[in-house]
Amino acid sequence: MHTRLGWLATVVGAVLVLGGVAVMVVLGPDSRFTTGPHEVDTDTSAVVTAPRVITWRGVRVDVLAEVPVGKPVFVGLGNSVDVEDYVRGVRRLEVTRFRTPWKATTREVGERPVLPGAPTALDWWIADSAGLGGARMSATLPDETVSLAILSVGATNLSGLKVTMAYGVEGGFARGLAATLVGLAALWGGRELRLGRHLVVDHYLDDDLVDDPSLDDVEYLYVYVDEHGVEHEITAEEAERLEREGEVDTVVEHGPAEPPTDEPTPDEATEEPTALPGVVTAGEIVAREDAGLPPPPVAEPQPEPEPQPEPGPGPGPEPAENPGRVVYVFVDEDGVEHEVTEDELDQYEVVDDEEDGR
Amino acid sequence: MRTRALLVATVMVLAAACGTVPRERSDLVTTKIAVRSDDVGAIFERYRSVRNTAVGLLDAKPLSVVESGPVLAIDTGAFEVASRLDRALPKDRSPSTVRDVLAPRFAKYPLWFVAVSSDEADRVGRVQVYQRESAVDPWLLVASPETVSDIALPGIRLRHGGAARVATGNDVGMAESPQGAADEYAEALGDGGDGVQIDSFLRQMRRTAADNAELRDVTFSQTWKAEKVEHALRTDDGGALVFATLERTDTFKVRSGRTITWPAGSPQRAFLQQGISTSGTLRYVHQVLLQVPPKGRIRALGQFGGVVAGDGF
Repeated sequence: MHTRLGWLATVVGAVLVLGGVAVMVVLGPDSRFTTGPHEVDTDTSAVVTAPRVITWRGVRVDVLAEVPVGKPVFVGLGNSVDVEDYVRGVRRLEVTRFRTPWKATTREVGERPVLPGAPTALDWWIADSAGLGGARMSATLPDETVSLAILSVGATNLSGLKVTMAYGVEGGFARGLAATLVGLAALWGGRELRLGRHLVVDHYLDDDLVDDPSLDDVEYLYVYVDEHGVEHEITAEEAERLEREGEVDTVVEHGPAEPPTDEPTPDEATEEPTALPGVVTAGEIVAREDAGLPPPPVAEPQPEPEPQPEPGPGPGPEPAENPGRVVYVFVDEDGVEHEVTEDELDQYEVVDDEEDGR
Repeated sequence: MRTRALLVATVMVLAAACGTVPRERSDLVTTKIAVRSDDVGAIFERYRSVRNTAVGLLDAKPLSVVESGPVLAIDTGAFEVASRLDRALPKDRSPSTVRDVLAPRFAKYPLWFVAVSSDEADRVGRVQVYQRESAVDPWLLVASPETVSDIALPGIRLRHGGAARVATGNDVGMAESPQGAADEYAEALGDGGDGVQIDSFLRQMRRTAADNAELRDVTFSQTWKAEKVEHALRTDDGGALVFATLERTDTFKVRSGRTITWPAGSPQRAFLQQGISTSGTLRYVHQVLLQVPPKGRIRALGQFGGVVAGDGF
């Protein structure tokens, strides 16, 4: 169980460390990966990604569009429904496929030379920016279908366009570092588990025993248990002889009880056929005869207790102040005792009761 | 026990890390909720500002950048009446409190949403529809039926995070399709329509028509027509909330030598200042908010309308 957990932790830790280091190396301390500037060969007034080209969400995207001679340029990110309606019919370069960091497939569509309105006047851009000679826009990709648009403003076009893009994850470097640390911890934990150091649970008892100074002087006590379960203390020599004959199960008791564990541990003793000490099984006798060994010693039977005489009716306890006094008793025909004096004895037939000593 | 705790803690750390790591979206459907509730305040504010400008000028032209369709027609009529009667219109008529925003999900333009608001001063509620025709167009008010302020609107069913729309020709699970309900209500205004619950608006319209029909030496006729329904939401009970626009035309044919006229200050008088001596027509537009139940009669929850044109001599 612990070995399997150890391997699992090791694998998870390794993946985390590799992933975390990779994230840190790729993103760098600013948590961004930058590519460009890339030249875009077009003389249209718009460069727009088609719907479903941007498929990620949660990614921080920075776009820097640069055009020569201080031409006005606009960069915007909007819902594809808005962007598509806006550029419908406009001659534009449409990005139909895009792979990060920069691998774009484009086509030129549309005929109308100019946009239907100034992009800066629209209110549905999720993020936008405009400038002369260049514009930079930053946005986190939302959970909706969006398109990126780089548009010329006024009567200009986008000839000489250069685009620089940066992708990032907010706090990406810190997350990579955290993943690396967690992975290292998992690797260490996995190693401990695989080496049988059960981190916490199974060291509980052993650590207590090691730290207990009272166990420095160990006193051995040998006990023989008969068939009634009664313990008999025996000497070391007797114990050694019985051990040689194989008639003992050695049980070492450490004093304090083991703490409960979550899972039952296999007990080797329970896997063998059990026999009470002192009670020889038929199988053992046959095995001994086959091996030419003398029969095992059998405990002598205890004498049966003799029946005790039933107590008969007798006088009550004598007075302590006259222990030597003889008491004479007359028993009438109803069996009732009447005490009589010595002087009255001549009136009765005397029967001496010697069993009672009276 | 501690080993298990260590494992659980590790798993929790991993799970937390996975939850914050960016990942690809599984749903790549190109749709959007028409509007975010946070943006509705700005839309209302813009409407209020433009309307107050128009009121200040006593000119309906600025309203074209915030209103469209029947609402613009009705308001233009109201401005026309005010201008001809030299009567000022109240400013800041827009609702003061937005109680609810019901925004459906769309795959393409036009987008629209319903805003439920109330005006404590006027003690009326408004269930308004704002629509955006394209990505470069502004939000325009296209329907604005008024209700009593404390009316309980039926719950609207949600689908994919947005209010569920109903195709205007779909009558599955309902007493009538949205378009059918509008047609039925228009028919009821003309004394037909058995599937409509009689309400105060119906009674008022029927009474007005009856009064006009009783004018001596005048042949009066009235027609009601429902325009194409464009906005309908599915209610929780499987019915629908329908925004219907009804066009009413009143035609008067007066016997020679007679002239009919309307009271001073009335909208009809504003359009037909000399009255009608031979024949004339008054056109009205009414917007009605209809509740279509799964079974039973159609019910009007609110209305908004007025004279939009008049001609005759």
